[in-house]
Amino acid sequence: MDQSEKRLIKKIRKGDQQAFAELVERYKNSVFAICLRMVGNAQEAEDLSQEAFIRAYNRIDQYDHDRKFSTWLFRIATNLSIDFLRRRKNNVSLDAVVPGTEGLSLNTMLPDEGEQPEDQMVRKETEEMVQEQIKRLPDKYRSAIVLKYIEDLSLKEISEIMEIPVGTVKTRIHRGREMLRKNMITEGGGRA
Amino acid sequence: MNCVSKKYVSLMNKVLDQEATEQEKQVLFEHLATCAECRVHFNELKESTELLRRLTHPQLPAAFTESVLNQLPPDKRNAIHKWGSRHPVLTTVAICALPMSLVVIGSRRQTRNRNGYALVKVSGDQT
Repeated sequence: MDQSEKRLIKKIRKGDQQAFAELVERYKNSVFAICLRMVGNAQEAEDLSQEAFIRAYNRIDQYDHDRKFSTWLFRIATNLSIDFLRRRKNNVSLDAVVPGTEGLSLNTMLPDEGEQPEDQMVRKETEEMVQEQIKRLPDKYRSAIVLKYIEDLSLKEISEIMEIPVGTVKTRIHRGREMLRKNMITEGGGRA
Repeated sequence: MNCVSKKYVSLMNKVLDQEATEQEKQVLFEHLATCAECRVHFNELKESTELLRRLTHPQLPAAFTESVLNQLPPDKRNAIHKWGSRHPVLTTVAICALPMSLVVIGSRRQTRNRNGYALVKVSGDQT
């Protein structure tokens, strides 16, 4: 962990909220990306991201400063997302009215400049399809796959975030990848 | 799926995890050159993860950070600090009054302990 981050955390431990704001700025989009791909809904992902940061602030004394701060923060975000998915699963009727990609279409998916409307359409469709496939993965494969392919983290970092051995991370990624492949060729058809 | 055997699937996984040796890569790619079924399987695996990688990374609005800060528990240490910078005169008086009162109390006690006569004199002067 870099020195500036260590200094920030020292300040946060003394109750400096401005120092905490700097950390939020640094990590908010990564935390949001994890939550978004885990739960598939932008509004819920934003709420979960807020919850993750508030929890990190309140539990800053539990953070082991010999480890990377992002590892600890991403663990909080992943666990909150998994808890959220479990709660949602227990409420089937609620799940039915929450489509996977709702809320993803507007300001959260800013198109590249100069992109043609047709390209935007195709990209939006592809993104929706991919998000739907992520949603179909069991929780434990989903978190490994999201951390690997959305956050581009190493297997070792993922193992620290999920608190499981590297070998188990590999197995989950392999199975997750295989499920994605199977589902994409049957559901996604020629698009994938 | 007779050809997509465990051996080649595990090699594919190693390659995709970027953990394959040069020799393992060679074994796999030589096989892929001759086996269409495995080639399709490998390309499908690669493509599915490529699609994940290409997903948009949406940005949160700037107001997000402020909204998080507003939900943090109020910090007492911070509150005292803010009060202090808002009332500098009162703060100075308060900070100075404490050691000064200690000095006064201390000197009176000392006098009293050392010499009863002086105590009468000092307290007489003061009142």
